[in-house]
Amino acid sequence: MTGLGAELLASAQSFVRTVGATTRFLLHLLALTPAGLLRFRLVVEQVYNAGALSLVIIMTSGLFVGMVLGLQGYDLLQRFGSEDSLGTGAALALLRELGPVVTALLFAGRAGTSLASEIGLMRATDQLSAMEIMAVDPMRRVVLPRFLGGAISVPLLTAVFIAVGLFGVQLVGVQFLGVDQGSFWSQMRGAVELGDVTEGLIKGAVFGVACSLVAVYEGYNAEPTAEGVGRATTRTVVISAVLTLILDYILTAIML
Amino acid sequence: MSATHSAAAEPSGAGDDSVARLVDVHYAVDGKPIFRGLDIAIRRGEVTAIMGPSGTGKTTLLRLVTGQVFADAGQVIVDGRDVGSLDRRALYALRRRMGMLFQNGALLTDLDVFENVAFPLREHTRLPEHLIRNVVLMKLHAVGLRGAAELYPQQLSGGMGRRVALARAIAMDPDILIYDEPFAGLDPISMGVVLRLIRQLNDALSISSIVVTHDVREISQIADTSYILSDGQVVASGKRKELESSSSEIVRQFIGGHADGPVPFHYPAPDYHEQLLGGAVS
Repeated sequence: MTGLGAELLASAQSFVRTVGATTRFLLHLLALTPAGLLRFRLVVEQVYNAGALSLVIIMTSGLFVGMVLGLQGYDLLQRFGSEDSLGTGAALALLRELGPVVTALLFAGRAGTSLASEIGLMRATDQLSAMEIMAVDPMRRVVLPRFLGGAISVPLLTAVFIAVGLFGVQLVGVQFLGVDQGSFWSQMRGAVELGDVTEGLIKGAVFGVACSLVAVYEGYNAEPTAEGVGRATTRTVVISAVLTLILDYILTAIML
Repeated sequence: MSATHSAAAEPSGAGDDSVARLVDVHYAVDGKPIFRGLDIAIRRGEVTAIMGPSGTGKTTLLRLVTGQVFADAGQVIVDGRDVGSLDRRALYALRRRMGMLFQNGALLTDLDVFENVAFPLREHTRLPEHLIRNVVLMKLHAVGLRGAAELYPQQLSGGMGRRVALARAIAMDPDILIYDEPFAGLDPISMGVVLRLIRQLNDALSISSIVVTHDVREISQIADTSYILSDGQVVASGKRKELESSSSEIVRQFIGGHADGPVPFHYPAPDYHEQLLGGAVS
């Protein structure tokens, strides 16, 4: 029992240390942000790397998530004879939950791992040390643009995911299953409010900051070995996914 | 300088012409001492070799000089300033006057050769594009790789990568050029090229060079002064002939390349026979 207690205490201490270090890392990045935005070309490059190059996976996933939502929603609603409400239900689900959450999970898997392994490998191959010797701050030159690029990309990708998802719902519901097109769109327009759109985008922005922070933090602090970079990449996906779901609950509770 | 420890312990003898000095430096990692009273003087305009068996802290010495790590005690003085007392801004200003060639080149893999050499210029100057282009081409020409400007680091051989890194290291016309194991893993031709470049650049640019290596024969051809480290201290220093005539056993083992001696062939282990018969692993 004593051993278990000591182990739990050590784990708790390690957790608190990690949270503290990550918070300091975030504050450091935020302090550097105004100067970083002056070199916007570096940020745009990272928006391309993290965002534009994720478009295919985001659009493909959005389409199929929307199509499944169309099938399941239609099956459920037709039992109550209210299949015309398919558009409303699907839009609210996509805008408020599925869009931001699934986008963040996909971003963590595709771009987050890429960011973590890239920065980790730069550490392992002395590229970050070389920058330090050249009097170039790696936090400013490497980490900040990638963090900002990721944080900007996720809300944009969320919007794309939702739009393509709605197209998927419409494709299955209206084109394949025969829901009335007029009712589908008009009910959606009537029920969806600006607050629903805002909620989705706020969640996208928060998840973007969280997932990007985890990726650059893990990469920057990776042990400079092949195993270390591998572990950092794995941790990025796991922590980002769990953090996204926890933050989703907190944000939903606040905004409902 | 003489080839004795006591003489090496008086770097002040180098006078005002030293560009960097380590004075009674103590440094430990996780409680394990790396340096125990290290004294070294790097003379201005010279090629200074730092040698010693693996694990003696040669690379750590470079990290102390460049301010990547700081001494637990003693002073690391570069260009008249105590590295340990500098704030980040002053340290970065000092580093702008240094160039460093890493053992693996440490080229930025997402940039091509041209952009790698242009990197410090773009970060620290506001030179117009045509001037940056000319400077980069001149630096690449100096290392014989002007024709490789559009290649990426992955497309370069080990020797070429090392030369590109050298071109990048001299891009800002540094006062001190630091080489970490510049010959490691190179074929004889590439080694000869890098060796000649170190001497030529040192003389042509009027800089001071610090070369960390364990390739005794190669570096002896170009080094003005050499230091041999062991057990956290300087065990010998001086010109090539002074080192060769040293009576120190560790120096003779190192220069002669003997497998056994003060640096034992076997890592500390339990008695061989007892371990075999007893079946113990550790």
